[in-house]
Amino acid sequence: MAKPEKRPEPAKIQPPMTPMIDCVFQLLIFFMLMPSFDSTEGYLTTNLPTTTGPNQAAQIDVLRIKIELEAIGPKGEGVSIILNDSETFGTNFEGLLAALQGLRAKGLPPDHPVLISPWMGTRQKWVVRAFDMAVAARFTNIHFAVPYD
Amino acid sequence: MARKKKSTVAGTGTVSFNMTPMIDIVFNLLIFFILTSQFTRLEIEDVVLPKSITAINKDTTTFRNVVINIVNPDSPTVIVFGQKVDHQIRGGENELTQLLKGRKASLTAGETMNVILRADAEVPYEDVARVMLAAGAAQIQGWWITTEIDKKEPKGAP
Repeated sequence: MAKPEKRPEPAKIQPPMTPMIDCVFQLLIFFMLMPSFDSTEGYLTTNLPTTTGPNQAAQIDVLRIKIELEAIGPKGEGVSIILNDSETFGTNFEGLLAALQGLRAKGLPPDHPVLISPWMGTRQKWVVRAFDMAVAARFTNIHFAVPYD
Repeated sequence: MARKKKSTVAGTGTVSFNMTPMIDIVFNLLIFFILTSQFTRLEIEDVVLPKSITAINKDTTTFRNVVINIVNPDSPTVIVFGQKVDHQIRGGENELTQLLKGRKASLTAGETMNVILRADAEVPYEDVARVMLAAGAAQIQGWWITTEIDKKEPKGAP
């Protein structure tokens, strides 16, 4: 009696997984590390005074250092710096820094209030630079004036 | 005659590692990190940030933060979570104040909240001031201004 023919088993095809695992792990490590690449941004931190209503701000009624920023130019793109209603520095932020450092050298404590009071139309970049100079002069109690509408 | 049992010596057969479950897990991880890296950028708009020499990197995940973007210096627009929000001051509370109050009400005991401002460098200050007023009205004190870290220091800086 003839033996029944065995059907040949279909060939098992298994693609090589090793290169795929390599690529997948590369992608995984990339996406895990990617959020940490963007480290060129930083933060300037301060505290806002709490308000009693939507259109009011707490007033700082002490002898504070006042840095006024006046927008100049046809579109307000420039700035003029006025310190304590007396000294003017034009656009010289280094001069402002030197003046603030001089005030610290005269004995003002780091938590002496500093008020940055930009005029209407002053660009945010000048406000940030003024804040920078106050921080660089080692003042820690810096506030922003809020114009009343 | 009894049959001899075939003895198998350990180590002579081939051992193959089953890759399928590992690929499943790795793909799950990959999809997770792709999606979460996109989620963290949803609240951030594309602005030209002002430069600062004293800005520092801070961990924004420590606090419950609200990122407020002010874009388009010619016609300043406040955008929070990809949505335009009215920040103009009129009688009563504006939309931004209500949004901030709502977010603050959702805090649990002991949690603090900060406003992270991402304003374009050319935005007029009065629009930033309106956002400040809204944050103050919502009793939020933490105010973080996002800037680009400028490595160049001015003369006289310590």
